[in-house]
Amino acid sequence: MSVSNLLENWSDFRHTHPVDDVPHNPYKWAMSIDLDACSGCNACSVACYAENNLPVVGKEKYAHGHSMHWMRIERYWDEDISTEGGRDFPDQGAQFLPMMCQQCEAAPCETVCPVGATNHTPDGINSQIYNRCIGSRYCEANCPYKVRYFNWYDYPTTDNVWPAEMNQQLNPDVSVRGKGVMEKCTFCIQRVTVAKNNAKNEGRLVHDGDVQTACQQACPTSAISFGNLVDPKSKVHRQWQAQQVELNKDAQTKDKAENNEEGGGSKEEGGSLRGYRIFEELRPYPSVMYLERVRESAV
Amino acid sequence: MHRFLRLSVLLLGLFAAASYAADAPPPALTTEDDLGPAIEQPIEFPHFRHAGDADKGGMEINCMYCHTYARRSMVSGIPPIQKCIGCHQSIESVRETPRIKKLFEYWDAKKAIPWKKVHDLPDYVRFSHERHIKRFIFQLNRPVQEVCGYCHGNVKEMKVARRSKLLSMGWCVSCHEKEHPVTAEGGTPIGDQAYWYGMHKPLVDASGIIKAKGPNDCSVCHK
Repeated sequence: MSVSNLLENWSDFRHTHPVDDVPHNPYKWAMSIDLDACSGCNACSVACYAENNLPVVGKEKYAHGHSMHWMRIERYWDEDISTEGGRDFPDQGAQFLPMMCQQCEAAPCETVCPVGATNHTPDGINSQIYNRCIGSRYCEANCPYKVRYFNWYDYPTTDNVWPAEMNQQLNPDVSVRGKGVMEKCTFCIQRVTVAKNNAKNEGRLVHDGDVQTACQQACPTSAISFGNLVDPKSKVHRQWQAQQVELNKDAQTKDKAENNEEGGGSKEEGGSLRGYRIFEELRPYPSVMYLERVRESAV
Repeated sequence: MHRFLRLSVLLLGLFAAASYAADAPPPALTTEDDLGPAIEQPIEFPHFRHAGDADKGGMEINCMYCHTYARRSMVSGIPPIQKCIGCHQSIESVRETPRIKKLFEYWDAKKAIPWKKVHDLPDYVRFSHERHIKRFIFQLNRPVQEVCGYCHGNVKEMKVARRSKLLSMGWCVSCHEKEHPVTAEGGTPIGDQAYWYGMHKPLVDASGIIKAKGPNDCSVCHK
């Protein structure tokens, strides 16, 4: 294997999959997020806290960077922040981007885990096995999206995280993580597992809509869709196809069209496409497609 | 010189260890400690009387008559006291025995019997009774007591249920590594879709039966 062969066929090499010879059969879980519909309301984040037993760390620990929000809303401004008049932020022109684990196909975090606590499932989820994790934090360091969160404290025994009766609302289908464990978005794998079990019991495949992630369920504008990418009938498949975004490519039609434009080329193809994936050029092959915002920003 | 000596001692040690390993039988995997303490129940429930074979004085009641949730949920369930009374109110012959008296005390006081859990998996393990029951009892038509016994041991000969299997991860995996037949009857899709049962392409043996391993991917059982 020459280096040039390796580089040219990079996606094939990094795309190898635990399934013998048929990758992603019969499932590949993927998501698409419409940034035009996203209003930055944070409902997805709250739903994630409730579903996945996330500790609310409080102001002080948040300031130290110890927040545990698997789903976070990133905020960008149209203009540079003006400090005139003592303002911290402009009054208008905010853009929002929900950011969570991108469930990369060639995940940088997986290769650096010394104990294999984070690994790829046959259905394309980057799973995190909490009781296997020894807290080396290599995965966090290697994650380009910074979506892995470390338990610096033993939150279940920390005051005011889940006081007396509040622990009754913990989700029994998800482990409560203790100190020294890395955690991250799992595409609500507990819900996926239930849907797959139900489908197996009935002798069928999981239908589109059988499984919703907590963030998707809570989104008031239905900006998030989740489903099986290899099922041609699923909404996610249709969205990815319409945007000409392909899982095992590191540059999508939209990116190419933009590069053409910048290079003085014509904008004949892909000019109206909105689908892109974040940090495509790093080749992690993420499973989340974002749809670029269309509306005018300053309202 | 010293270095040379050390090396020879090390080699000698290795040799001794290797020859010991070859001679000695492998240590038993199951020890009494691994099975946890014997658990005292509020009422000594005689499993052998209810589920045992008829020639040994048992009633041969199906496990799922009382543990009714096993076939449709993650947990098998402990029957409510109503289920016990349902039969026992009309069994006069044992009505005055100490255990049944105790049972009716709970019933009259309208209190649930505080049964204790015998087969308790760690909180980070997801185990679905439903999947295992559907797969082995309803699809492969294996006898109920045999299938339940894979994990629960020979309960039909026990008085108070006692753990008799390790319930450790290696023990679970040892069964998931086996090739079990996949049938189309009972609704399991065959062919490519047998990938469901594992990450490997299913085998087809000489008689045309497709066999597949159980799922062996961490997140299936670990939550």
